Amino acid sequence: MQTALRAFEMHFCIRYLFYLYLMYRSPFFIVLLLLMFSSCKQYTEYVKSDVTYYVDDENRPHDYLGKSDNSVFKVPIEIEILKRENKSTPLGLQVTAFGSFDVYWDGVFVGSNGKMAKSGQPEIPGTELTYYQIPEKLANKGKHIVTVIGTQSKIRDANRSIGLKLESFLRLHRAPLVVMSFMNLMAGAFLIAFIYYFFLYINSTRKEATVLLFGIICLLFFCLLIIEYVKFYIDIPYTHFYTRLQTVGLLTFVISILVPWYFMLQFSFKRKRLFLFLLIVSLLTIYLVYYGHYDYTAIYFSYAMCALSLIIAIDAAFRKIKGGLIVVIGLLASVIVNKYMFYDFGLFIAFTIIVLSMLYLHTIRAKALEEAHNASLLLSSRLQLELVKKNIQPHFLRNTLTSLIDWIEESPQQGVVFIRALADEFDIMNAIAEDTLIPIQQEIELCRKHLEVMSFRKEVCYNWEEKNIDANEEIPPAVIHTIIENGITHSFPPKQGCITFCLSFTREKQYKQYTLLTLAKNRNRKKENSNGTGFKYIKARLNESYGSNWEFDSFAIEEGWCTTIKIFDKK
Amino acid sequence: MKILIIEDEARIAKRIERMTRDFFDKEVQILLSDSVENGLNTIEKQSIDLLLLDLNLNGEDGFEVLQTVVAKSFQTIIISAYTDKAIMAFHYGVLDFVPKPFDANRLAQAFTRFTTPEKTNSQDIQFLAIKKSKTIKLITIKDIRYIKGAGIYTELHLVNGRVELHDKSLESLEKLLPVEFERIHKSYILCWQEADKLIVEAGGKYNMLLKSGELLPVGRSKYKEIRHKLI
Repeated sequence: MQTALRAFEMHFCIRYLFYLYLMYRSPFFIVLLLLMFSSCKQYTEYVKSDVTYYVDDENRPHDYLGKSDNSVFKVPIEIEILKRENKSTPLGLQVTAFGSFDVYWDGVFVGSNGKMAKSGQPEIPGTELTYYQIPEKLANKGKHIVTVIGTQSKIRDANRSIGLKLESFLRLHRAPLVVMSFMNLMAGAFLIAFIYYFFLYINSTRKEATVLLFGIICLLFFCLLIIEYVKFYIDIPYTHFYTRLQTVGLLTFVISILVPWYFMLQFSFKRKRLFLFLLIVSLLTIYLVYYGHYDYTAIYFSYAMCALSLIIAIDAAFRKIKGGLIVVIGLLASVIVNKYMFYDFGLFIAFTIIVLSMLYLHTIRAKALEEAHNASLLLSSRLQLELVKKNIQPHFLRNTLTSLIDWIEESPQQGVVFIRALADEFDIMNAIAEDTLIPIQQEIELCRKHLEVMSFRKEVCYNWEEKNIDANEEIPPAVIHTIIENGITHSFPPKQGCITFCLSFTREKQYKQYTLLTLAKNRNRKKENSNGTGFKYIKARLNESYGSNWEFDSFAIEEGWCTTIKIFDKK
Repeated sequence: MKILIIEDEARIAKRIERMTRDFFDKEVQILLSDSVENGLNTIEKQSIDLLLLDLNLNGEDGFEVLQTVVAKSFQTIIISAYTDKAIMAFHYGVLDFVPKPFDANRLAQAFTRFTTPEKTNSQDIQFLAIKKSKTIKLITIKDIRYIKGAGIYTELHLVNGRVELHDKSLESLEKLLPVEFERIHKSYILCWQEADKLIVEAGGKYNMLLKSGELLPVGRSKYKEIRHKLI
């Protein structure tokens, strides 16, 4: 006993899937799970048909082909109509078979598929799936004979049987339309996703592999859906029947590799190569073992993919990586769908769930990137503010002004020189305030002006020396300036002579280094303040421009104090 | 008279020194120190009368120093760029806060407050810092009932009945304390809220009865003023 059109009922499932997918992303997976279960129950209840009929499927005719390529085969098949519910639409007959043939219903010609080979004329191959309308006066209850007469000159070793199905003629034609409307909707969504992520990859400065990979998976998935259902609107000659199945198999193969790979990258899974290698080996084994069984190959491919993805996702969930649990749930849902559903849809819904969980991961990732970006912007503006504050903080400004008043009162000419130096320092500070990197010469100029100002204030002689400075180099603003401020604060003024600051630059194979020596007697530092506000500023600036590719060190030496900044070439 | 200047900027230190000399007519001995460490050493070794202190010295927070020095017998005047710390400094009991940049007039005003015997204004002092076995303890002004002079020290009699010793003289404290504290005797400063009534004993002795029942002597010269205030 057989009833027709399983395809009809599945659209509920797919429709809800899409509504949910478009509206709510996070509760989607939970609802989806419930929906899957409920729709699985409904599945058998909803399979209804206009016609109830009996055909002996167990003993389908095989080996009906003649010996020569052009020999005509004639296959009579008995079919019994048990019940017809809706007689307002004509009865339809679906035939699935290879070859070119004419179909007769109780001896009456109802249609042909392709053109049989005749003497001198080669065969025009028909397509695998065809529909025929049965004259109403012949569609009575009882036994009928369907006779298929034709030739099959190609793929003769396929040894296909002839499959028959009865259904109202209207439903026979409408069923693929309904299925395809949802499958095309899905395909369209993935096409858009592919285009979006592809453009995103092209235009992003980061060039993240996961973005491109996700785009490619979406594209392949789009292709898979289109190729799978292309049979409904293009008459593929039976000679190319297997071409479509092979393409589907190839697409499934590639997707089965790319999806776990994507999860590996997204969850930064260890032992990527080993597991990818194992996956490819197992996929090839499946291919070889089930060679020719296209449906099984695709199913086992997806099993392998699901299994590895699950391992990766569970590992990620254990490592408490964001999104890991969601992917585990999504994968389990797709396993359940696969188990309870007819292959065609089960596979695609399972794939859809997987791709959706990937999309969800992607949004999580995008959010994290956005937050990191905002944080860096915030840091940059805070550092700018810090730089501007350097010269207006009361300690600097009021002490400088007090000294300045004194200079003007006591020796106005020197006072003017002092004012000029101060104005110059302000000018440079103003010029560099908004930059994240400035030429080293500008930084040195800033340091010189600062030393000049400080020599007026402290009445100490400050000496500036530089070695090997490469004028093309750049450095974050006011970094050396900050080290010099510290040097001035923490050095005893010498009884005679000067405090010397010596900046030197060296370039090694993997890094460049600035060394600032402060030649003076150190004051006793109460606490080891290697994390004082000055050092925090320097470290934040280095982070901003060089990520983690730098080293900062500051320590006492015999002659005074030594501060080094190492900037590594990008790893 | 000895005055110590703790200031890390040479130019400013010289300016303060010059102005101090001008004000006190060169009869003073001025000590200069450019760091907290040196300054504290000087204070340990020599007795000084006035300290002129910068709050931020070579990057070190001056408030630790301030807590230490306000417990001593000498008066402190802050000269600092951190004007936002002024109120805090007064809470600790400094005589004046001179913001940088300053001129001779502003400094002279602070010195006048130091030299004038009477209380010149009501101040924001909230604590008195006392030295207790190497640590500094802050006494809330509201907790003080009266203060008794005891030689070079003073005794702070507190609400909870305890008595703490302070290094500053009654004269110095009188300048720091808010208006509700009144010098009633050469050896006593009383918080007005504690006063109950004035008692005249035979032989022209005047006493003040406190709400706690204690009797404090009232100076003959102060009597009229105090009786006037009580009424």
